[in-house]
Amino acid sequence: MEFKVPKEAYTGNVREIVIGKGEKTLKIGGENILPLHFFDDGVQPNPPRFALEVLDMVPQDWPDFLKEPYLDVISDPIKWAKKCEEYGADAISLMLLSTDPAEKDTSPDEAASLVKRMLSEVRKPLIVYGCGDEKKDSEVLPRVAEVCKGENLLIGPVQKENYEIVGKAILENGHVAIAQTPLDINLLKELNIKLCKFLPPERVVIDPLSSALGYGIEYSFSIMERVKQIGIITKDSMTMMPIIANLGGECWKTKQAKEEKNQGLLWEGITAIALLLAGANLLVLRHPETLKLVKETLGGNKIWN
Amino acid sequence: MIIIGENIHVIAKEVSQAIRERNAKVIQDLAIQQKEAGADYLDLNVGPVKRDTEETMKWLVECVQEVVDLPLSIDTMNPVAMEAGLKYCKRRPLLNSASGKTDSKQNMLPLAKKYNCDVVVSVMTDKGMPPDLETKVESILDTVTYANELGIPNEDIWIDPIILPVSTAGEGQRIAVENLEFIKILQDVVPGVKSTVGLSNVSNGVPHHLRPILNRTYLVMLERSGLYSAIADPLDEELMALIRGKMENVRQLIYKVMDKEEIDMSSLTQKEIDYVKTARILMGETLYSDAWLEI
Repeated sequence: MEFKVPKEAYTGNVREIVIGKGEKTLKIGGENILPLHFFDDGVQPNPPRFALEVLDMVPQDWPDFLKEPYLDVISDPIKWAKKCEEYGADAISLMLLSTDPAEKDTSPDEAASLVKRMLSEVRKPLIVYGCGDEKKDSEVLPRVAEVCKGENLLIGPVQKENYEIVGKAILENGHVAIAQTPLDINLLKELNIKLCKFLPPERVVIDPLSSALGYGIEYSFSIMERVKQIGIITKDSMTMMPIIANLGGECWKTKQAKEEKNQGLLWEGITAIALLLAGANLLVLRHPETLKLVKETLGGNKIWN
Repeated sequence: MIIIGENIHVIAKEVSQAIRERNAKVIQDLAIQQKEAGADYLDLNVGPVKRDTEETMKWLVECVQEVVDLPLSIDTMNPVAMEAGLKYCKRRPLLNSASGKTDSKQNMLPLAKKYNCDVVVSVMTDKGMPPDLETKVESILDTVTYANELGIPNEDIWIDPIILPVSTAGEGQRIAVENLEFIKILQDVVPGVKSTVGLSNVSNGVPHHLRPILNRTYLVMLERSGLYSAIADPLDEELMALIRGKMENVRQLIYKVMDKEEIDMSSLTQKEIDYVKTARILMGETLYSDAWLEI
């Protein structure tokens, strides 16, 4: 009897989203198969992409071996970003940490002006993360959106407390939103429903939070996995968005990563690979050697050709 | 469908206060309202009643029986309070509840025999909540066999599959669907038993104003699957209308969702659309979110 390899074909399709404009663009998502299920009917046209993270202030709690690759540029975010390009990042993720009232409480204007300058100097698309304080972000992120009008940045986190004000600024100024919810698929869908009442779903990327290995990665894994299953298998429009896994910061605050260099690289690398298998489309890392390690593990982009 | 009125419940502040202060009027008003709304039984959910157990139960049962002649469901985990309650019931009461837990088998089930009453038996075991349909069935077979050996016939046993909130991260929806299946196969598994659920738990954690439509829709689905009774809110007029054979259009729409039939939403009223969306949530067809009616 002839053996026929079973093949699944699904009806859902993750929206393909472009970040940046002109020469510096990046496509993510677009798949209609579950992550890496190349044996099924369908495509995953865009490989997972990797951003390296830049802070807008000198990091205070990084171990020396994490600062080392950036040592000569660490007090200049723009040079730091250029260094990330040299290291092979597909995008730069600028974290506006200094705007946090608990840090330097940098003003929205000052933060926006840094983003604008970085935009003119780097050749890779930009992701901009606010400090995470919903109130401060609702002042800083709209200002960033305005000053960089039309540049199609990926901006977040847009949270349930500030989605109206931040989401509207993203809509009016032509950017893409990072919709962030705290490790809960029901809340994730609810925020997307609310956001998509005025923002086209083609302009939303999901950030379900990325917990590090040993610190709750199972939760992040399950949620990403379910987002993809529900989107691709049951065609739920409100989960058919690409996923960003902002994992570098989570990994490098663990005791284990800070303890020893190779352990740190593996901590970040294994977290990245795991979340990639769960369905992350865009991953934010901190250490350039992790980026190299993860890319080697994937075997270049061979599986996507 | 037998409705066991849920409103005399110690979690409600006015009820716990009324019991503490022996304020008969508050309790009696709730009893009369529920009876007038069409309740078949009244649940007296008294909590553990650790202090003045005997006296409190006697007062409460007699207080209710003074104004209504409905049978009572004595709802407590404390066997001492349970016995005190059962003792004063004029009509054949419902013991709510026993389970497959060892201490419940040893302390609760014998009371059902002693007072010759009906008994709710939940699927809980010493290991907690059975994780799937198969283990639920195993738990029930085990507990019912135990009850039979005590001399309690299947006809006196009301099986409770335990309803969980539909809003809890994915699992809630899976369990909602599984419980429909459980009710459906129950008669084949244990012929002659009855069934009941704590209905409102399905909407626990959901924004207050959205709870009723979940409760109503799920009750219609459970009834169609063969459910015998439910602990529910008889003061919810729409809920009572639905299970008393009114609102046939809504009932048919819910059935269509259960049968996975195509529905032309453009011809429906807003209320009908909301019921269809809710039924789809409860069938696990669309992922739950608090905004499920807004999409």
